[in-house]
Amino acid sequence: MAMTYETRMAWQNRMLLVPAMVLLGCFILIPAAAAIYISFTNAALNGFAASHPQFVGLKNYVRLFSDEGFWNSLIVTFYFVFGSSIVGQFVLGLASAIALSRPIAFKPVFNAAILLPNAVPEVVAGFIWISMLGGGKYSTLSRIVGLFGIAPQNWLESVPLLMIIVVNTWRGIAFAMILMTSGLSAVPAEVYEAARMDGATPSQIFWRITLPLLRPTIFLYMLVSTAGTIAIFGLIYTLTRGGPGGATEIIGIYIYNQSFTAYQLGYGSAVAVIVLGVSVAIGAIYARVLKVQV
Amino acid sequence: MTLRKFTRAEATAYGFLAVTLLFCLLPFIWVVLASVDPNASLFLSLPKGITADHFVKVFTANNGRRWFFNSLVTVGATTAVVVVVGGMGGYALSRTNAWWKSPFLYAIILVRVLPPTALIVPLYKFMLFANGLMGAVVRSVVPPDSARSAMQICGFVDGYLGLILVLSAMQLPLALWIIKTYFDLTPKDYEEAALMDGANGFQRMHRILVPLALPGLGAAGLLTFIGAWGDFLMPLTFISSAELQLLPIGLFRAFQRANTIDYGYLSALALLYMLPAVVAFGLARRFLIQTFTGGIKG
Repeated sequence: MAMTYETRMAWQNRMLLVPAMVLLGCFILIPAAAAIYISFTNAALNGFAASHPQFVGLKNYVRLFSDEGFWNSLIVTFYFVFGSSIVGQFVLGLASAIALSRPIAFKPVFNAAILLPNAVPEVVAGFIWISMLGGGKYSTLSRIVGLFGIAPQNWLESVPLLMIIVVNTWRGIAFAMILMTSGLSAVPAEVYEAARMDGATPSQIFWRITLPLLRPTIFLYMLVSTAGTIAIFGLIYTLTRGGPGGATEIIGIYIYNQSFTAYQLGYGSAVAVIVLGVSVAIGAIYARVLKVQV
Repeated sequence: MTLRKFTRAEATAYGFLAVTLLFCLLPFIWVVLASVDPNASLFLSLPKGITADHFVKVFTANNGRRWFFNSLVTVGATTAVVVVVGGMGGYALSRTNAWWKSPFLYAIILVRVLPPTALIVPLYKFMLFANGLMGAVVRSVVPPDSARSAMQICGFVDGYLGLILVLSAMQLPLALWIIKTYFDLTPKDYEEAALMDGANGFQRMHRILVPLALPGLGAAGLLTFIGAWGDFLMPLTFISSAELQLLPIGLFRAFQRANTIDYGYLSALALLYMLPAVVAFGLARRFLIQTFTGGIKG
């Protein structure tokens, strides 16, 4: 028993991390590595290939590049990420953060209202939005726009992609707002005062001071939010299941449908590997931006 | 009191916030009204009367009660697992200076951005494999007639245990971050003083570390609860039998049955389902910034 205190502590730390490593290893790292392997096979959920998966080399990837469904899904995902997280949530979240940074009455009420859509589970969000959008002339949205003389329609069929962008914007304003609020609070008040003294207009202050000073926060937001939006599944699955005709089939839903509806695990895994690659790239930039402290 | 005139900037701010508020709350009006409307439909309408029947039915009808129970058991257990495992790991990550510390932290960030949908296929295969092993073990120790119910508890596919472990793994990276950050803020001196006074490992943990890290452990627990409670993909993929169904999938499936939807009942169920999440979200409000920035700064 010649262990020093330091050696004992070092072993203790390693032991304490074992359960966490087992969980992360079994349920995240091994599956991620296995996804790469499965993507080179013709593994399936039924039929002969289910019990005897064959190594097929790059076949799944070759098929991927000529598969319209895959390209369609990439494009839908791009519009979805761009429309909801980069434009919708960001613009509304930043505007809310700026509006709420002023001395305003009922601040907690506005705050709570914006946070609520983010707090509810995905299924509930899908459920209540079906009442808003589905069902032709009886849906809430049809009745509202009817006041302005716009024809009622089944919104999830006429403009499905736009609608899932609206729903995801609705859900994520809070996320952008919270981040932007913390960014704004880091800007010293004297900067604004000085600008006002010099006769800067509100729009000059916004474009020349607020926005440039928020740049690091905005960059961080774009990274986290893009990664988060690519990972969305339940919200859209409960609303449209990717339909009609693939119009809302964002990449997560495409993977799920290929694997569990079309039973093609190998092909689904090839798509998953591409998504994993993109996510790891985003994560690497993210880790760099955060400058992990040791 | 003098009435002061609104400046244009103020008027814009109020106008914008009012519209945003309406946008955010509008979809909720239907679910609230429908939950007390005796003749609820999919569409927004003012109830002719008010009834509590739908809420009563959630707790008397077998389905609603069972879904609630299953969700509470799995999500509760997940939260416990994550707080304990994350507490141990977060402490070790905070106190160590070993070479693997920084790669480990990087890895956690990378793991956090991996979309669960991209992992679901291999995860499913792994779970099938683990389920086979567990099945063999269970059959060898449990009499055949109770093997099925034993597998519902400790099976990996269509069993509590598998779902709890998967949900825990998904929530663990964030919890590790938050707890590690919290231990970084608690000085080592207390532990060392306790050590000098002859406290053993358990006493140091019980009397010093846990109380000091309680806010961090609490935050990690709340966020784990929110994440696991709302999760849709894992119960959708790994639970198939009706008696193990969780709230999100039960609600989703009931809503898919086109002809026989009881909107009042489902609305009440949806409200009760979102309630714990909203409360936890309210409590976790001040920690949210950490979840979004990775727990680096408060």
